[in-house]
Amino acid sequence: MNYHFSRRQLCIPYAAFLICFVIAPLLVILYYAFTNGEGSFTLGNLTGFFSSPNTVGTLFYSVLIAVTTTCTCLLIAYPAAYILARSKMKRKTILLAIFIVPMWINFTLRIVALKEVLTLLEGNLAYHPFLNTIIGMTYDFLPFMILPLFTTLTKMDESLLEAAYDLGAGKAAAFVKVILPLSAPGIVSGVTMVFLPAMTNYVILDMLYNSTYIMGSLIGSYFSSYDWNSGSMISIILLLIIFLLTWATNGFREDDNRRGALL
Amino acid sequence: MLQGLPLGAPMRENLIVGHAALPQWNFIAEAKSPSDVTVLKVANWEEYIDEGGWDDEEAIELDSGTITSKDGLVADFEAWYYETYGKQVKVEYSTYGTNEDLYSQLTLGDTFDLVCPSEYMMMKLMKEDLLQPLSARFFDPSVEYNYYTRGVSPYIEDIFSGNEINGKPWGAYMAGYMWGVIGIVYNPEEVSDEEASTWSILTNPAFRKQVTIKDSAREAYFPVLAIMNQERLLSDEFKNSPDYHEKLAELMNDTSPGTMAKAEPILREIRQNVYSFETESGKADMVTGKVVANLQWSGDGAYTLDQAEADDYYLKFAVPEECTNLWFDGWVMLKSGIKGDTEKQQAAEAFINFLSRPDNVVRNMYYVGYTSVISGGEDSQIFDYVDYCYGAEEGDTIRYPLGYFFSGDDTDEDYVITAPADQAQRQLFAQYPPLEVFDRSAVMLYFPDDVNAELNQMWINVRCFNFDQVSGQTWLKVILVLGLIGLVIAALRFRHSIFKRPVKRGFYRSD
Repeated sequence: MNYHFSRRQLCIPYAAFLICFVIAPLLVILYYAFTNGEGSFTLGNLTGFFSSPNTVGTLFYSVLIAVTTTCTCLLIAYPAAYILARSKMKRKTILLAIFIVPMWINFTLRIVALKEVLTLLEGNLAYHPFLNTIIGMTYDFLPFMILPLFTTLTKMDESLLEAAYDLGAGKAAAFVKVILPLSAPGIVSGVTMVFLPAMTNYVILDMLYNSTYIMGSLIGSYFSSYDWNSGSMISIILLLIIFLLTWATNGFREDDNRRGALL
Repeated sequence: MLQGLPLGAPMRENLIVGHAALPQWNFIAEAKSPSDVTVLKVANWEEYIDEGGWDDEEAIELDSGTITSKDGLVADFEAWYYETYGKQVKVEYSTYGTNEDLYSQLTLGDTFDLVCPSEYMMMKLMKEDLLQPLSARFFDPSVEYNYYTRGVSPYIEDIFSGNEINGKPWGAYMAGYMWGVIGIVYNPEEVSDEEASTWSILTNPAFRKQVTIKDSAREAYFPVLAIMNQERLLSDEFKNSPDYHEKLAELMNDTSPGTMAKAEPILREIRQNVYSFETESGKADMVTGKVVANLQWSGDGAYTLDQAEADDYYLKFAVPEECTNLWFDGWVMLKSGIKGDTEKQQAAEAFINFLSRPDNVVRNMYYVGYTSVISGGEDSQIFDYVDYCYGAEEGDTIRYPLGYFFSGDDTDEDYVITAPADQAQRQLFAQYPPLEVFDRSAVMLYFPDDVNAELNQMWINVRCFNFDQVSGQTWLKVILVLGLIGLVIAALRFRHSIFKRPVKRGFYRSD
């Protein structure tokens, strides 16, 4: 019974979880992506995706929706987070809670409610499907943009800003040269947290107006018709795109600041 | 002590009380003889069986007695089975959302004894030889408890024995459950009866973005075929041809590459015109007035009309003149579940029979809203129930014959309902469409896998975003927005060189 407990053993649960629920499923997806119905190796799923104008069009549409959602979220969230973080208001936490509370309510419920509101406002949702999707997605993902921005902005070193004013910077210059660069990690983590789910979240689109496929629904439709191979290949393609994007945005990050972006 | 414990329906409550007070009794029973309990695994559609819990106001008072439900049909079946056969059965009941879900569950290794797929999935299962045939005992009309054989509508019986897969009639493997046609639920204030009487309503520009259809390639393909062949389907020559029904069935199951190629543009046109492709929201969108017309199965149609009526909102149901899809769901036993176990098969068949008992049929029809394939045979309860729901004495009434369903003879005077005139286009019509509607109906058969894959590919092509749908103006907007984003990114990237201010004269930097 010469049993020594080492700190390294604490990793075992996590490693087991990782292998069972992250690595193994990924391998299964990889297997399906590069095989055909009979189980032999093929690149047909890959070429099939890129040779069809429909699937490429869907990829384009998904990216368009994700980009627009992210930009709208950023445009709304930045001023809000800025005011929340920088103002001297006493009831700041209550204000922050107002932004966070919607996240506690069931997502489906909120979208159904939003559908009713939008219907009241414009009548027929099918006339402006793109706009409605963007509104729905923005509504849903906004907290994910505000939180990291709020965190970085509150953690910002006040003295740097004072130094900027001392050195003769105007308000605009101070914002552009000090606040904006310092909040970049928050922007990057907010953008990642909104962009990536917005690429694949088709539930909102389905619930508000169900007519055009985006990547998520495309994968779903392949799976529901038992074509697991094409569906897996599209998942892999999406994974690669997301990986590339994350890798590209990493270029903006600096090691010191990374801690500022909590989420 | 245990054997003496009655499990019959009237004592059910006592049993529950006893169970709470003396839990060890039940425990001993299970430990003593677990093999005495037959476990029956049943899978059905969601909300497709009476689950009980009716309050007193919901009781249906027929001449033959009052029908109400407290525990639901599954629990009542367990009690009834013990009373009737003296054996215990435990039903493990589960539900699924679509035929395809059920099929995936079966291929992924779930075993069920008794499931309730739609006709085309039943055909697929029959083709793949996964089904256990119903026993000869099940079809013996002299047995009192064979409510299915004794009560199934002769009209349905004809369909079930007249169609074959692998040389065996459908009825050898499947006992019908609910059935109907597809039609259009519409708002009479916005849509005229003529407009709703054709499948072209789906492409009608007058209702642009105000109609919905099902989010399923199969369901959408049927109206497309009808629109494609509209002139032919409506021509007298076609209608009066001696082999009209065969021709109609052939036409509505046409999946040749040429037809599919022609169907795709029509489907695209429908996509541009419809409000959405719905899976669940169709009924609600209709009731709340978001859309003015909705393709619907007849049972759901009746339900939608009921819901709307509760809001003082009157909708109608129509079956287009071209043709309609006759569908039905039914119970089949799976070989993989039954595994030749006669006890289990007996329990499964008894379950079908219990659901086919006229009073249970009424309970189910009230709860689910769909129309049962059971007409009751000698028992008049089901006809009484229809009469109870729709019969009227005063005012503007019509004679609504239902003989084709109840006795096999549509001129049968015993089965005529005197109903309010508007029922000719409302719930009664949706639940029991007249014979002439079935005359123009075709069953959509099961398509082989390669055809299904093509159909799905067509559906994906239609549903995907296509560059050619985008107008030049939209392109311009998109390019502008993208350009703007590019500019912002460039500005951020090169902010150091852009915002760098020249060093002012007179200042000397220390570094």
